[in-house]
Amino acid sequence: MMTLLLHTGLVLVSLLLTVQSAHVLYLMLYTWDQPDAEAKAKAPEEFVAPRLSFSVLLPARHEEDVIQTTIDRVVRADYPAELLEVFVICSADDTGTIGKAEEKIAALGREGLHNVEVVVFDDKPINKPHGLNAALPHASHDVVTIFDAEDDIHPAIFDLVNTVMIEDEVNVVQAGVQLMNYQSTWYSALNVLEYFFWFKSRLHYHALEGSIPLGGNTVFFKRELLVRLGGWDEHNLTEDADLGLRVSAAGERVRVVYDDRYVTKEETPPTLGQFIRQRTRWSQGFMQTLSKGTWKQMPTRKQRWLAFYVLAFPHGQALLGLYLLVSLGMILFLRVPVLVALVSWLPVLMLLAHFVTQAVGLYEFTDAHGLKATPKAVLRMAVAWYPYQLILAYAALRAMRRQLTGRTNWEKTQHVGAHRDKASEANSHAA
Amino acid sequence: MPREMRRRATGPGVTRPQLVVVHDGVRTPAGQAPAPTERSPRPVVPLGGVPRLGQRGRIALGAAVLTGLVTHGWHLFQYPLYLTDEGIYMQRAWSLVRQTRLSPYTYDYDHAPGGWIQLAGFAFPLPNQFETFGNAVNTGRFLMLLVHLVSVALLFEIVRRLTGSVLAASVAAFFYNVSPLAVYYQRQVLLDNLMMFWVLLSLYLLLGRDMRIRHALGAGTALGIALITKENALFFVPTLVYLLHRRVKGSTQRRFTRSLWPFATAIPVGAYLLYAVLKNELVPTGLDFDLNNPPADHVSLLYTLWWQLNRSQGSLLSSGSFLYSSWIPRDGLFLLLGLLAMLAALYWGFRDRERNLGFLVVGTMAVAYAFYLIRGSVLLDFYIAPMVVLFAMSIGMVTDRLLGRLSSRLRIAVPAMAGALLLFVPVTDYLLTVNDEGRVAVADQYHPKLNLTRMQEQQVAWIRGNVPADARIIMDDDLWSELHDVPPFYPFAHSHWNAAADPDVRDKLFAKKWRNIDYIVMSNKMRQSMESNNGDGREDWILTALKNAKKVWETGQGDINLQIYRVG
Repeated sequence: MMTLLLHTGLVLVSLLLTVQSAHVLYLMLYTWDQPDAEAKAKAPEEFVAPRLSFSVLLPARHEEDVIQTTIDRVVRADYPAELLEVFVICSADDTGTIGKAEEKIAALGREGLHNVEVVVFDDKPINKPHGLNAALPHASHDVVTIFDAEDDIHPAIFDLVNTVMIEDEVNVVQAGVQLMNYQSTWYSALNVLEYFFWFKSRLHYHALEGSIPLGGNTVFFKRELLVRLGGWDEHNLTEDADLGLRVSAAGERVRVVYDDRYVTKEETPPTLGQFIRQRTRWSQGFMQTLSKGTWKQMPTRKQRWLAFYVLAFPHGQALLGLYLLVSLGMILFLRVPVLVALVSWLPVLMLLAHFVTQAVGLYEFTDAHGLKATPKAVLRMAVAWYPYQLILAYAALRAMRRQLTGRTNWEKTQHVGAHRDKASEANSHAA
Repeated sequence: MPREMRRRATGPGVTRPQLVVVHDGVRTPAGQAPAPTERSPRPVVPLGGVPRLGQRGRIALGAAVLTGLVTHGWHLFQYPLYLTDEGIYMQRAWSLVRQTRLSPYTYDYDHAPGGWIQLAGFAFPLPNQFETFGNAVNTGRFLMLLVHLVSVALLFEIVRRLTGSVLAASVAAFFYNVSPLAVYYQRQVLLDNLMMFWVLLSLYLLLGRDMRIRHALGAGTALGIALITKENALFFVPTLVYLLHRRVKGSTQRRFTRSLWPFATAIPVGAYLLYAVLKNELVPTGLDFDLNNPPADHVSLLYTLWWQLNRSQGSLLSSGSFLYSSWIPRDGLFLLLGLLAMLAALYWGFRDRERNLGFLVVGTMAVAYAFYLIRGSVLLDFYIAPMVVLFAMSIGMVTDRLLGRLSSRLRIAVPAMAGALLLFVPVTDYLLTVNDEGRVAVADQYHPKLNLTRMQEQQVAWIRGNVPADARIIMDDDLWSELHDVPPFYPFAHSHWNAAADPDVRDKLFAKKWRNIDYIVMSNKMRQSMESNNGDGREDWILTALKNAKKVWETGQGDINLQIYRVG
């Protein structure tokens, strides 16, 4: 009886995992599989004349090294200066970044550019959504957008969004963000590909179905919409995803543009510790958003289900990590009937399919950005692949633990200081 | 995205490599310039999309399927005689359903199990399972009919997409439906028929209007299933790989399709191999592949494969082979036309690979399988079945090309005339035949009075009326399911193949002693089979029993003879 239960359980879990990973695979390949999705996802080939004005929010904390370059890039984008305003957002204790920003503002002023301001807030919590909310009342232009301090934005991004918002009549645009340094650490290629598949393929599906967790930067909102929705949730670790679901719940159509030419370039976290903390924050943020229940307010069942599915993914990932370990043990130590063994092999096949897809993705990614993938890089990915899954599962478990013990603080602010020098170096390198 | 691709993707004319029918001199896809040649006044399909089926095409397709329903469905359960191999596959499907095993006897990987897994999957949900259509073989034959009907539609669409011509598709479907070779073998429960269905499906999925990743995944999976239905599908792999390559060349998703197609193919094949691994039956003990010394302790997939590759039974072209004794008498004309068409397809295909992709695909598939038949390994009568499909396609395509210059009225009239001749000239055996008395009669496969399987039913009836259920019986596999699935069961009835080879039957039940046999139920030509299977004397004890047996029942018709003997 016991063994029968065990076998049934094994078969059920295997089938569930197979279906789930087949679905993820479908989403990863969505853009490539649709005959015209690729064309739809791209940027328009011709831009209309600049008409919309943009308020750019630049939340920064301890970004002394890169903030000047970032400001420079934004104000010198190919867009009329009178249609751009920039807010560098800092907490009052971050005098270093404030100093650097003001230095830059003075320099720009000497050139006759007066559209950059520093917004300082001195109340708690010190985190990104709070900073954004503090700056929102200062913004006066049509469209509000966010860039992170280390972002390497494309000069034509405002032209692009101006065109898309006008031509497609949408109030929200998510443009592509892409990690670039696929060769710098053992996990960076896999991390880069996650972004690649997420922005290039999967988000389009979410946008189409009207249930989309937005990204944290290079995302554009009509200001009135943002004000109407009440800005960002300051107690959420993934305020961006939460806002995306609220936008979807409000029935707003979101346009996703991923065009290899116009992506905002970023870097993978430079150390494994930072990577795990970042991932923990995301996982925990999703868990928070899930329990907060915004997804329940979506109009249709399909939207609700999709939102639930995305938000519950970290839970699944934690379980999957455990399953990976257990299944390994079972393959080695447990003798099960041949049919059960064959079925429990299915998830492994799906994992293989994911790997094949990612290996192909590496070539797609490098091709798109004028880089060169080598068989060696694929081999590195193959070796890193299983540990990477375990790391993701570990981060998800860690998030689960933090969530259960009620620790919901922003880990970045707490720990990043120790790695700041290194991180900034990498970032300035990118910028 | 590389600049080149972007340019092509946004350029005029072509967005992705779609099947585009090129009417000579009218329109050519960007980038390729197939200059109109005098030799091909008909539309040629390079890579690309096909015109929609249309009213005329739908009628032709409907007619083709309907014809198949009549030629294959009419008299399905009466002709031909139940064959040993049909019995074996049904017996194994039975074992899956009743015993959750791949065979009631030791499964020694002689065939991959995909075919009878499908048969079992078909029979299991039926109201009376294996007896839904009378007996197990009939039930299997009904599935063959369904498979044939779907295959006709697939074949029709494949040929139409490769040529852009409804005429080519109709001619191909005509032969596939009506040739006596086709009718004879496609009615039988054969792995080859199932395999060809999956191969056709795989081919069809590679010829869609737009080639998406899901199509490649589907095509790969279908090929994988074909491979584990019968390993011979291997001969089609090179062509399919090439076709895939041609279909996705230059498209944005080409890398994904190219890598996920083989992955999908590997899934069913991998499951089969994994099954052997889990049973510890992949390799023989000690990796001993010595053919003179078969492994004694357990069966092995790779050993069986190696053994099969090294079997030889003389050449197809030597006299007395099935080619002369069975295939040519059934439909020599079709074989000749098919051979010529295949050669023409190969010639045109290789001469201009870009423009004549369809000829190349069909020609190479046909020649690969012909190579397999000619190469001189073990051949069975029904191995011709896949060839029928490929020859039919070749003939259809070549006919269309040859008739291309004629006026549209003649293009219909000539093949219609030829078809009518084939159907109504008695020597062809298509619809009519000249019987032994020299009279014109309906051909055997449709003759309402020729009920061959009734003899086998009578044989079973006699057994049920006269033989006790605990009798130890040597028989053939054709009636095996009948005696094991319909009460009263005859649990000790085994085929001479198993009685001569399987230790469980030979040693434990019969102890290899002829006196332990109570009855011998002879199928048609079973005596020859026993003798040809007796190279090492394994059937000696059964033949001795036969010498010491008394004939208690007999029936016959033409050259078919069935008997039952009581031993001792």
